[in-house]
Amino acid sequence: MNPQKPAAKETAARAADAQPAAAPAPAATPANAAAQERRRTPRIPETPPVPAPPARLDDYEPVIGKPELDELRFLAGSLRGKTVKMVNSTAVGGGVAEILNRLVPLANELEVRTKWEVITGGDDFFQVTKGFHNALHGAAYDLTNQALDVFLAYNEQNRQRMEFVEDLVVIHDPQPAGLVRSKEASPGRWVWRCHIDLSTPHPGVWDFLRPLVEQYDAAIFSSPSFTRQLSIPQYLFYPCIDPLSEKNKELEESYLEKVCDDFGIDRSRPVITQISRFDRLKDPVGVVEAYKLAKRYVDCQLVLAGGGASDDPEGAAVLQEVREAAGDDPDVIILNLPPWCALEINALQRISTVVVQKSLKEGFGLTVTEALWKSKPVIAGAVGGIPTQVVHKLTGVLVHSVEGCAYQLRYLLTHPDFAQQLGKNGREHVKENFLITTNLKRYLVLFQILLGVTQPRPAA
Amino acid sequence: MATTSPVSPGARLARAPFYFNSESNLTRIVRERATNLDELLRGLKSCPDASIFYHTFQTLREHHYIRGGFSNDFAQWVFAACNEVGLAERLAALDVRDFTSVGEIRERIVSTVESYLKHHPAAGTRPAFEPFYFCASETVITPTPFVANTLAEFADALPRVSLHSIHHHFITARLRPPLTRNDFSVWLEEDLALASLAARLNRIDIYTATLNDVRARLLQLVQQEMARSAQ
Repeated sequence: MNPQKPAAKETAARAADAQPAAAPAPAATPANAAAQERRRTPRIPETPPVPAPPARLDDYEPVIGKPELDELRFLAGSLRGKTVKMVNSTAVGGGVAEILNRLVPLANELEVRTKWEVITGGDDFFQVTKGFHNALHGAAYDLTNQALDVFLAYNEQNRQRMEFVEDLVVIHDPQPAGLVRSKEASPGRWVWRCHIDLSTPHPGVWDFLRPLVEQYDAAIFSSPSFTRQLSIPQYLFYPCIDPLSEKNKELEESYLEKVCDDFGIDRSRPVITQISRFDRLKDPVGVVEAYKLAKRYVDCQLVLAGGGASDDPEGAAVLQEVREAAGDDPDVIILNLPPWCALEINALQRISTVVVQKSLKEGFGLTVTEALWKSKPVIAGAVGGIPTQVVHKLTGVLVHSVEGCAYQLRYLLTHPDFAQQLGKNGREHVKENFLITTNLKRYLVLFQILLGVTQPRPAA
Repeated sequence: MATTSPVSPGARLARAPFYFNSESNLTRIVRERATNLDELLRGLKSCPDASIFYHTFQTLREHHYIRGGFSNDFAQWVFAACNEVGLAERLAALDVRDFTSVGEIRERIVSTVESYLKHHPAAGTRPAFEPFYFCASETVITPTPFVANTLAEFADALPRVSLHSIHHHFITARLRPPLTRNDFSVWLEEDLALASLAARLNRIDIYTATLNDVRARLLQLVQQEMARSAQ
């Protein structure tokens, strides 16, 4: 193991360094003037692009390699013909639907017959489940008997409507958790996949849900820190990204150039990027402050790109705060992007010299996963699921303050070999742990264990 | 003993074929958690064997792409979350190849932590920067279609099997009888009478190489053997 200091101490100590004057800005040229104009009026797509066709299993071979792909087929071999049902509460939007959209066709391609069904409910149901969702994350919530009745009534209605004849039933998140009442009459094993952080739940809501959850045969969580003590086995499935999705697939150099041109980014100088909603918990103002400290030593640009400012009053307020913090610095590029800009986000990550995710609170932090997958050196707040992805000084660097972030920016921008090694390790870390193919493999292994179909053969 | 026919060692039939299996692991989250070294010690004593296996052997697979840095999760946590570098170094020196059972590994880790806390009692209750969550490994062994009847077939299969297969046969095999040896070396020695090659394979350092490096080195040694014997 390397004798490295933990991030907090080091960054605090280094931040006390003397600060020289700001690095000189590049001279004004016609090209710069055009870029400045583009920064003021970036070309942002106004309509969603045509969706790409879903990837097939063989398409993943160049990404994960034939041996790993073959292994999925070997694992699925003993599950061939088994049936699986996945149930969640929405067919579009949100991370769960995004994952199921990719996972279900891949499982079927492996001849594990997998169906995906969505529960239905009125506005009253989804108001209650949204309240539950926030409460389970620790928010204050006025739990009423009426809310419980609404939750149970819609779960019962869906339960009556649905059939559970499959060998395995996977219920995603709390909304359909009550379907487990069909378990006794069904032939299959039941799994509850919890995508949310239950570390500090609202006691009333959790007391209500817990007896339902404990009727399942197993539960799956995204992080050990998200779990509760339960009487059933709990498994760890990290969230995942799809390397062939719009947000992560390889891009042509000409497209990267176009995006830089559209947004006024100068690729001849280092680019620091944070991709996230304009949300105080992502600390975009802290990122601007860290950039300003770093810029005293290294000439660089900052790109802050994300959404959430158009349909959310708080997001709009945060965007305004970020603009004020940036002041008249022409090298701070702030992009309020619509949700269909996955390709642009992908390009911004790829043209970055360093990617920052200076969150103060975080779920798993899939934007970090995306950046690591693109072999980028990442500087990130040590919160939520980020330390699982960013192992300090091995797959990225962790920071705890604006000053620490600034120091690491200076360091990585002036030590490209080290930055490159972090990026290389980061990509391998994602390849091993956080790709959709790994997620599929985890499901196959879990199904084998739950159904008792493993057929081990002695080694040599 | 293997046959002594005049064919080259690469083509000589082994007494028994080598079946490549693969290993897939699922991580189970167990009850034990630690927020300081005292709690780590308690967890080390009470956690299932599968947890000790997970945090020592499994780490080698999950971080197989890193040369140095990681040797086991306990060392990493003690270093990064507790800032107890001396203890971290001692834990990091643990080499899973020196043990014949998970129980022995547990004993060594427990005695290392106990000894450290005896000399540094204040470190026991100092809050860690982040908790340590004990996990455990549930393993499924999957047969693969790759089978080697000769050294040449073995060399042909090595690049085609997954890294999980390499990990299964070369690293976790050391906990299966005959203990402390890997499956490849056992086969080479017992079924192809290649004791010297078997010993060279067994000496490959799994802590200073990535699993890809291990695969490349295995292949290199096997190819060298075939070339040498063909002369």
